[in-house]
Amino acid sequence: MALDFSLTEEQLELQKLARRFAREQVAPVAKEYDEKEAVPWPLIEKLHEIGLLNISIPEENGGLGLGLVEEVILGEELGWADMGFYTIPMASELGITPVLLAGNAEQKERFLRPLTEKPALAAFALSEPGNGSDAAALKTRAERVGDHYVLNGTKMWISNAAEADWTVVFATFDPELRHKGVVALVVERDREGISFNKIHGKMGQRAAPTYEMVLEDVKVPVENRLGEEGEGFKIAMLTLDKTRIPVAAGSVGVARRALEEAAKYAKEREAFGRPIIDFQAIQFKLADMMIGLETARMYTYYAAWLADRNDPRHIYASAIAKAYASEIAFDAANEAIQIHGGYGYVNEFPVEKLLRDVKLNQIYEGTNEIQRVIVARHIKKHIP
Amino acid sequence: MKFVAIIRQVPDGEAKLKEEAGRIDLSGATMILDQMDEYAVEEIIQLKEKHGGEAVIVAFGPERTKEAIRTALAMGADRAVFVRHEGDADPITEARALAQVLKEEAPTVVFTGGQQADWDSYALGPAVAEVLGWPSVAWTTRFELLDEHKAKAKHDLDEGAQVVEVALPAVFTTQQGLNEPRYPTLPGIMKAKKKEIKEIPAEELGVRGAKVEILSQEIVQIERKQKILDGTKEPEKAAEELVKLLHEEAKVI
Amino acid sequence: MVLVFIDHDGKKPKKGGLEAITRAREVAGALGVSVAGLVVGSGIGEVADEAKKYVDTLYVADAPEFADYTAEKWTAAAHAAVQKTGAKAVVAPASRTGRTWTARLAARMDAGLLEDVLELEPSAEAVVAKRYTFLNRVLEKQKAAYPVVISIKPNTAPLAEPKGEGQVEALEVALGELEQKVQVLEKIQEEKKRVSLTEAPVVVTGGRGMGSAEAFKLVEELADLLGGAVGATRAVVDAGWRPYAEQVGQTGKTVQPNLYIALGVSGAVQHQAGMNKSKVVVAVNKDPDAPIFKETDYGIVGDVHQVLPAMIEAVKKLKD
Repeated sequence: MALDFSLTEEQLELQKLARRFAREQVAPVAKEYDEKEAVPWPLIEKLHEIGLLNISIPEENGGLGLGLVEEVILGEELGWADMGFYTIPMASELGITPVLLAGNAEQKERFLRPLTEKPALAAFALSEPGNGSDAAALKTRAERVGDHYVLNGTKMWISNAAEADWTVVFATFDPELRHKGVVALVVERDREGISFNKIHGKMGQRAAPTYEMVLEDVKVPVENRLGEEGEGFKIAMLTLDKTRIPVAAGSVGVARRALEEAAKYAKEREAFGRPIIDFQAIQFKLADMMIGLETARMYTYYAAWLADRNDPRHIYASAIAKAYASEIAFDAANEAIQIHGGYGYVNEFPVEKLLRDVKLNQIYEGTNEIQRVIVARHIKKHIP
Repeated sequence: MKFVAIIRQVPDGEAKLKEEAGRIDLSGATMILDQMDEYAVEEIIQLKEKHGGEAVIVAFGPERTKEAIRTALAMGADRAVFVRHEGDADPITEARALAQVLKEEAPTVVFTGGQQADWDSYALGPAVAEVLGWPSVAWTTRFELLDEHKAKAKHDLDEGAQVVEVALPAVFTTQQGLNEPRYPTLPGIMKAKKKEIKEIPAEELGVRGAKVEILSQEIVQIERKQKILDGTKEPEKAAEELVKLLHEEAKVI
Repeated sequence: MVLVFIDHDGKKPKKGGLEAITRAREVAGALGVSVAGLVVGSGIGEVADEAKKYVDTLYVADAPEFADYTAEKWTAAAHAAVQKTGAKAVVAPASRTGRTWTARLAARMDAGLLEDVLELEPSAEAVVAKRYTFLNRVLEKQKAAYPVVISIKPNTAPLAEPKGEGQVEALEVALGELEQKVQVLEKIQEEKKRVSLTEAPVVVTGGRGMGSAEAFKLVEELADLLGGAVGATRAVVDAGWRPYAEQVGQTGKTVQPNLYIALGVSGAVQHQAGMNKSKVVVAVNKDPDAPIFKETDYGIVGDVHQVLPAMIEAVKKLKD
């Protein structure tokens, strides 16, 4: 009898609020921010105002202390309205998570509380120009000098970075040690020696700011180190094991939007004297979209539920959810365009943006190939 | 001071309405706090924030009305009194019941929606005021509390507007532009769970049937011709064609 | 007796008043009684001379206290007339003020209230009325026994014809403490350059798609050419491009013209509530998916900044 798919009353309220915010505030301006490639700060401010920004920050640090199930509820709604916008709060949680996992009480208070008091963001910097998937091959150096580290190197594809109050930077103090030589440092934006270059010309998710972050002799005090020297890589992996679940949630939102837009269009558009939804070719497409949506949503909730219970199965479950949801969402967006025909290919209708946006969900926070590596690793170890 | 907002729960404007045996069936519709009532809730919360005191929600309706009450509490109201009533009621009947609640609450100021999106009635606010022997101001676009006994308000008339000074207690109905209603916040939603909703069955306030009986309801859909021309390539040609249709076919110009 | 409230512009009865008289006669017919009229104001002899032609008896509440409207004073006047005549039914125009004070009156009389009524079927026992509810999306049939207070939706009843010389009687209205509680400090007149929005045969409404306040010059030009009024959507009014007085929709005005032209209007339900009973609806919008097109007879998908000037030219050409 223990199996129970229902949300609590609070979770339903959160869903209602997030849905209303997404519909009334985000969706109407999504196209505009996509076109302008501008950061929607007014939306970030409103999200903070209604308490939906940085929701994982614990109550003792001034936050709401919500879990991944709540993040998934939020992610589906915001992803429905604009995946590019959702990436901003999602990437902030990605920055917050290492502090939650490895920060001491003093660090949590120092770094997290300010993010609850005003509309402010965090960021997470692991990838570099020369390495993404091979995360242990870091080149950014962290040299220990007295009570400081001195950082040198370049981080790439960093969401939020220049917009964030601070970024968790992963660097190596000894490249020979590979993943055992990594340290995680919280680097405040205003430290000397940091520069940001905004990456332009992205195919989609253009509301989400993405930066190259250049570190030149940046001094960071030892008090900003999360965990011990050498624990950085583990912290990064533990973080991603959780935070790829919100990527799945955003994908579910995109898939739902694609289905809704396609169904609406198919009911209105006529060909050969009847609505095209009456044709089996269209019906099968819509049915496949719904099969993908329902299974992806269910599995994403499952992965979030495991992670919130600290069940180790969440490691592979989050990888499955991320890969699967982003793929069915891409297919759904693709078929939504097909159902719209020529109209789907122009930006008067919202479906082409869905495709451009959700392509990134197959790439960031670990490509879907890396997700399969994680699943395969589990198979190798645990499946007889 | 005490500030009261009277609210209703109504179907979302976007919601598709269903008709079942000559009556509107709301069972599948998304129900929300009425948007005109939302201005009322916002106004009393602002009054409380500025002047101190209590912001109280008063509602009348079926069990589901509690959802709208929760929304108002999540926006920041302190507590609620809910008169539970299943079935039809007209504004005058509702006003009689609510007047008894208000008499006991003895508020300084009462706000309610200028018109609610279910019964399209303007009557609730003025009727409540009448039963209590209080003045009423309809379609308020600006409100200023001068002191415990006086308020100044600007409100819309048939054409133009009036600025009035009103002896309190009084009932004000809202008009768009009065304020910008806030969203409920997630912490507010959590807190709202613990706020008091005092429930009173309508029968205890003497509600027995309504003065106005609803005989039937029917969804009206005017059939539109839907002749839509493409003006993306040759706007002049489309405009000319349109004017021609309006002149020759529709005969309206 | 049936009492009808006749509103006026200081000189003669307004259209709404004449419509209310038509409906009052229907009710009086069913009851087999006469129709008494009521006019309220200050220095309204001229109005009374005209209004008495429509009723058997006209009660005139003419006093300086009635120079400015308040719901309390108007209720007091109507109630005094009800007490004097023993009227079982009161009929009034469903203007903003009318719908407010009739609510007070119904509560004071403990009467049923039928608001914003389209059509009436009165009998000797009760009145059945048709009216819209759910933001004008539902046609509802309501029934109320006498005594009853009825407000008549503008532009829905034929205008009453005069039928002789009614008797005129001054109405004494005792104003008490309640009526002193609202003091009018200031009156703000609506800017009125064109025909009134609610009475105009043509309404040309601009929405957010117009892009700026300046762009409304063309909306005005088209409205003037067609002898119509300018309307605006809520977004436009909120942006400060046009005054509230021009807003069409749930929180604005309800219009029912012969021709409604929506330019750059997406067509939210709240907007449609204010215009969806128009006879012919025209829409221009660049978004083929805009909800307004579902409520449209004739439409153009295209850029309003290109289509509107072309429409103006075409209308001018037609007029030549």
